[in-house]
This record gives sequence, structure tokens and C-alpha cells, in this order.
Amino acid sequence: MSVLLLQLAGPLQAWGSSARFARRTTEPAPTKSGVLGLLAAALGRPRTADPSDLAALRFGVRIDQRGTPLRDFQTAHDLDTGDAFPISERFYLADAVFVAALQGPHQQLFELLQALRQPVYLPYLGRRSCPPSRPIELSLQEDLELQAALEAETWRASQWHQWRRRDEPRVTLELLIEPDGETGRVDLLRDQPLSFDPAHRRYAFRGVRSSTATVPNPCAPQPLAHDPTSALRSQ
Amino acid sequence: MTTPRTIVEVHVLQTVPPSNLNRDDTGTPKSAVYGGVRRARVSSQAWKRATRRAFQDILDPHDLGVRTRRLAELLGGHIRGLDDSIPQADAWALAAETITAATGAKVEPPKRNAKDDKNGKPQPAPEGKYLIFLSTRQLDALAELAVQGREDIKAFFKEKENKAAAKRHANSRHSIDIALFGRMVADNTDINVDAAAQVAHAISVHRADAESDYYTAVDDHKEREEDDKGAGMIGTVEFNSATLYRYAALDVDLLRTNLGTGLRENETLDAPVRRAVEAFVLGFTQSLPTGKINTFAHHTLPDAVVLKVRSSRPVNFVSAFERPCQADQDTGGHVREASQRLAKHIPAIETAFGADEGTLTWVTRAGDDTQALAALGTELPLRDAVSAVGTEVERRQNGSA
Repeated sequence: MSVLLLQLAGPLQAWGSSARFARRTTEPAPTKSGVLGLLAAALGRPRTADPSDLAALRFGVRIDQRGTPLRDFQTAHDLDTGDAFPISERFYLADAVFVAALQGPHQQLFELLQALRQPVYLPYLGRRSCPPSRPIELSLQEDLELQAALEAETWRASQWHQWRRRDEPRVTLELLIEPDGETGRVDLLRDQPLSFDPAHRRYAFRGVRSSTATVPNPCAPQPLAHDPTSALRSQ
Repeated sequence: MTTPRTIVEVHVLQTVPPSNLNRDDTGTPKSAVYGGVRRARVSSQAWKRATRRAFQDILDPHDLGVRTRRLAELLGGHIRGLDDSIPQADAWALAAETITAATGAKVEPPKRNAKDDKNGKPQPAPEGKYLIFLSTRQLDALAELAVQGREDIKAFFKEKENKAAAKRHANSRHSIDIALFGRMVADNTDINVDAAAQVAHAISVHRADAESDYYTAVDDHKEREEDDKGAGMIGTVEFNSATLYRYAALDVDLLRTNLGTGLRENETLDAPVRRAVEAFVLGFTQSLPTGKINTFAHHTLPDAVVLKVRSSRPVNFVSAFERPCQADQDTGGHVREASQRLAKHIPAIETAFGADEGTLTWVTRAGDDTQALAALGTELPLRDAVSAVGTEVERRQNGSA
């Protein structure tokens, strides 16, 4: 099994899991259906294509920079009368960075990596008005398990964010991982895509297990070999 | 993956003075946190609408569409244009049935209250429940179909081939604005159009907090009296000022698919594609959302525009401004630093991630503050730069056709 690592960064992102009608919410982290939709679009698949081969990949995400929720109020105007009528309330995550991981057969992941470099449909982070601000693909690693890959990946938070937490030489990040058969406490999210067909979009439940990973902070001061003030600081 | 792609990118730096181009439901200018600080934000929807309005000056009305709930009234007009012996009420009824057959959307007369009936107000035109976007040519074709079925329009659309024709008319000969911005019809997803243009929310390159303007309005008449000179009313208007980074990407291949063959009779396949690309770039760069425009008169043009034509994926350079620009202590202003940042960031990203070799860049800029951007590409006035993009798009289209 191999793991494909992706980074999802941009001023705005939106990962809806149950949004319908006028209130479009976002989950606090990228959804599996959202990320698979992005990959299917990069491959150039129509929405009516069967997503089951992508849905079979195991999915996990690491919250590198949590971001700020943003509520956006959108109106539409009648072109003839100029009347405004509120149509929707949209929620976004501003200023967030995530690392997402997909585990599966190497060849399939390699094709996805290629597609991200030359996407057929333009990529966006959950909503069309949210283009990514960094290249999405990070790396493709062989013979690695998903959780291990997410634990080993360097911290992708923005520099200002790392600097703000410079007092922490190692930071603890939340992991949301699809369990691999094992038992234990699992949350359910209706996020396993069965069909992206806009006429009858369908999702099944999938399990999400929450854990943490601890990674070094590149902005933390390097410990000195000889630091005479360390005795004072520990008090 | 093997087909050569054509993607056009537009990057704009634009300064707006105190203004409120795009506000939320409380009247505050929209904002977002980026790089840990609050920024001014103008939503993509607001700028897309401004772009669409700009098209009215750039493009022929026949290349455009109308997005309205009052389609029946509009189509009724087209029907009566074909045959003015049809009374207005009948034309509206024909139009309503035709729209339902073509788009699946219910179109019904709006609810009336007893007072309207009593006062003898005329029956208003039927309306849809949501905005539907149809091109002028689609309306023309649907009007012809409606006139054909005028004897018994319900029975006419019960016949499979007529209903199929209505759907076909609603889904071919898309206007340039529909091809660019897409169309979503909730009741009939078969005729949805995926947008070829992707527009990001514009954000300020620097920290921008909303400010509040307290105002009083003087009562002209009362002013002449001695005893009461108080204000006629008081209130506050919120505003901010910003140097914005605006970004849009245009998928020319998808645009070509959306436009289909020949918008006009006797036109080559590529002509509408080039016309749409040029209209989009020009319309997006030169337009401005008109929120509170009479209060603030924030009419400005961009400080700088960078246009790119690429063969692989589009690149958004907003991270050049993730660390907010600081206004110079002595001279003030954000344009110089923003230009310098962009001039450094663009080649850095393109080198690190391997921009494709065929990428072409044009720069339109004004003033000394944008000098740093000159090195990025060929400098041209906007019209010439847009036309150069058009020529390149046409060259690529011919090469791949």
C-alpha cells in the first residue's frame, strides 16, 4: 500500500457534508467526498461517473492550521426590477491549512498525482470561489501506512502561524482518520460518496477516528548545546 | 492528460479609497482573516456580477443571456415579437408552459391579495421560484417553439419530441456569460452548465479593519428657524479602503465546449471563444462592484494587471500576501510593496514547481510603484495585452483543432 499526501491551503475553503438549501455550512476539516470530488475533477471525470474506485481509498486528514470560521451572506438581484432577495448563507474556513492523505494501490495514486499536476477541470477547495494558494500535491510514498505518513509529514502551517507558536518546540495536531477495520470509538460522518450525479447525489456513512500527531516546529529556537540560562527558564 | 490545455490567468492589484463595495447583512464591508490578520474582502459573486454588467458595453446583446425569475414575461415578449396578434396574457401562458417544458422549473402567477383583485389590478406575469439563466438565442428558439404549439400548448409538450426540442433549445447556443459563469437549474440538472471561469474572492494585501463614519443630515427647512437647529437624522456608514489582490482563472477548453459551435451564423469555430476570452479579461479587470458607489465614488482602475496563458494548471499567487504588507512609514501606500512581493513570488513559485515552458506573460501597469512588475513579461496597454491573449488563445485553438 502507498500513501498520497496532499496539502489544502488557501484564504478560503469550504467542506460541506450535509449542506442543502440556503444554509451552506462547512465541516472543520476537509471531507472525503470533497477531496475525492477534487481528484475526480482533476481526472476529468463527469459528475455522473461511478466514484467507487476512488471511494475505496482510505482517507485521513491532519489539521495543520485550524483557521477561522467565516459567515458570508449572499444575495441575488432580479435583473429586471433590481430587487434584492437573500438566497443563501455560506460558511467558509478562512486561513486554514490541512494535510490530507489517501492510502491505496500505488498505480492508482500515481495517476491521481499526475492528474493534480495537469488537472482537466480546475481545482478548488470545496467551492469554486476557493482556489488553492499552494500546489495541492505533496508526495507519493511507497510501503507506508496512512497514520504513519501523516505523523511523519512536516508541519505545513503558514510561517506566521508557526512563529506565533514558537514557544512550542513540538506541536500537537489533530488527526481524523478512517479506521482500517479495527474496533474502538469511531464517529460517523455521512461522507462516503456513492454518486456525485447532481440528479441524485448519494453518500453513505463512514467512520472517523480522532487522534493526534506531534511534529517539530521549525520556528522554535534550536536548543543550544550549552545554554547557561536553561536552569533559569525551567523555574 | 495528454491533450494540450489552455488556461488564462488574470492577476490584478487595485486600490480602492474608502468604500463599501460589498457588504454583509449588517452593512459592514465583507472581510476575512488571512495570514492571521483581518483583510478587506470582496466576494467572487459580487465581482462576477460586475463583470457581467461590463459585458453589456463590450459584447453584442445577442452574445448575452438574462438571469431572471420573470422569464415568462421576457419570453412572452419574444413570442409577441413573432406574432403580435397573440394577446399578452396568452403569450405569458404559452411562455410559462414552454419554460417548464425546457427547464423543469414551475412558473406560476405570483400570489395576489384580495385588495389587488378589488382594485382591478391587472393579473401580473407568471414568475419562477428562482433565477434562471437563458441566452437571447435560446429565448428566440423557445419563442418559435411556443408559437408552433399555440393551439394547445399543454398537449403540444405532452409529445415527447416537442419536449425534447424545448430541452435542446435550452441547452444549445449558450451565451458567452452562461459559458463563462455557468448555470444551475435545480429542477433539471441535465441542462446545468459548468462555469469555465473561476473567480477568487478579492482580499486586501494588508490588514484592513472596518471604520465607521458617523453622519448627520441637515433639515433644509428647519435650518431657517431659530429655536430648533438639530439634525434631521443621524446614522453611521461602515467602510474600509484597500489595495486588493484579485485573481481569476479561465479554462479555455471548457469554455470552448460550453460555447459549442458557432454562436452566430457564418462564424468560424474559434471566433466566439476568442471573443469570450477577451471580453472576460477586459470585463473582469475593468469592472467594479457598485455597492454604495454614490456614497463613496470609489471608481478606480487597476494599478497593475498580470495576464498569463498556460498549458497546465492555474496558479493563484495570493500567498505572496499571506504576510500582510506594511504601509511605508514615510510615503504610505501598499502598491509598491505589493508589486515587489508579486514580482519576487511569481518567478519563485514557477521555478520551484516547474511552470510549463510555453507560459506567456503580459503586464499592464501604471506609475513608478509598479515598476518591479515590468520584468515579469511583455509590457503593453490593457487593450493590446488583452488582444495578445486573444491571439495566443486562437493560435493554440487552431493548433489543437
